[in-house]
Amino acid sequence: MVSIIDYGMGNLKSVRNALNYLGYESRIIDNPVDILNSSRLILPGVGAFDKAMINLNNKNLIEPLNKAVLSLGIPILGICLGMQLLASQSEEGDKIDGLALIPGKVKKFKQDKKYKIPLMGFNEVNFIKNDNKLFEGIENHSDYYFVHSYHFEPENNADIIAKTFHGIEFVSSVNKDNIFGTQFHPEKSQSNGLKLINNFIRIK
Amino acid sequence: MVKKRLIFTLLYDLDNFMLSRNFRLQKVGDLSWLKEYYDFNSITNSIDELVVLNVERNKDKNILKFSENLSVLVENCFIPVAAGGGIKSMDDAYNILNAGADKLILNTALYRQKNLVREIVKTFGSQCLVASIDFKNENKEKKIFSENGAFEEPLSFKEAIINAEELGAGEIYLTSMTKDGTGQGIDVDSVFEATTITNLPIIASGGIGNFKQIFEVIRVNEIDAISTANLFNFMSDALSDARLFVEENGISLAKWQDVKLVKN
Repeated sequence: MVSIIDYGMGNLKSVRNALNYLGYESRIIDNPVDILNSSRLILPGVGAFDKAMINLNNKNLIEPLNKAVLSLGIPILGICLGMQLLASQSEEGDKIDGLALIPGKVKKFKQDKKYKIPLMGFNEVNFIKNDNKLFEGIENHSDYYFVHSYHFEPENNADIIAKTFHGIEFVSSVNKDNIFGTQFHPEKSQSNGLKLINNFIRIK
Repeated sequence: MVKKRLIFTLLYDLDNFMLSRNFRLQKVGDLSWLKEYYDFNSITNSIDELVVLNVERNKDKNILKFSENLSVLVENCFIPVAAGGGIKSMDDAYNILNAGADKLILNTALYRQKNLVREIVKTFGSQCLVASIDFKNENKEKKIFSENGAFEEPLSFKEAIINAEELGAGEIYLTSMTKDGTGQGIDVDSVFEATTITNLPIIASGGIGNFKQIFEVIRVNEIDAISTANLFNFMSDALSDARLFVEENGISLAKWQDVKLVKN
């Protein structure tokens, strides 16, 4: 069962609508048991990093997430803030710890007159690796929808699968084993996004 | 660099979708009309963003009903959605966001309920707030209006824009009431003037009748987006033709692969 994790932040409905459109059953969950018996996990997110970690902690979801992903090998897709939560730590707020599933830090974009923050709109996603399963059947430099002021810098280049330009080149997608992340919102990226979600569900 | 946006605005009044001229409304059809004649699902494949405005001519708009209908409308809509019209409380804001909107549109509240606007920004973030500013431009004199154009606000064009920025808006949806529904094209001079007053992204609205006009506005460096609410001129292929025209003339817009390729 595809599970969308509800920790009080994030546009769950849009993700659910996308899964419905693609013909996949899904459920919205917020407890440890359901996390452990999912076949796929989606961690959406809109808002502040520290609030997200506090919410995840309060709902006792951090340990089950770690177990599901690292011990049980359940594929997980972090979207937007959800991808940032995979990191070790964020510069945002009180420098709180993330899930540390992919080592690295989350940093804020610098203010720039030409490249406005928050980065809001469709932008090109450029593959660093050309054969990642998440982007199967998707053309390089395809447009996806972004809305964020922070970006994730993984420690290991091997975990970076795509980058996007907005004043600087920042990481727009990550993958480490069964852990996937997209800085952009595939559920808001028309057919390009639906294709990516379909790929994630079908990953072996 | 983010791409420029072609936005479609749906004007909604209780159960019906409307056409507007100088802010006077004419009923066009309901949701099933929209889906039948307008093939809504294919339209959304050729726009970057959808705006749904509740233009009910009532002091207390039925936000609950609006939210219910919004939720049905955007079910197969996989692009950012901004919605509003008559938002007067945090409850209204929550209802609309829970119905599937990504951003809230506020207009009258910018002048009458500044604390609400600040609270919305604090709770949901600036990127969630689109400040809608309606203006009339007659004899080179610009006036600002609220309440669906019914009430003239005592502040200048410049003051209204700065007000929106100071309240924390993420972008400005700027509509010329004078040009609205006329098909005469956008008031480019006024929109351009707005870009010199603020750095916030500006969505130009009011007056679009054909895709040449779309191009004329979107080619201006400083203008980020354009919106049309013209249900007739932009049926079926017209919006994707507009995108093609803009592309052929050198402005890069977002592109999406054929929906048929999506499922394996």
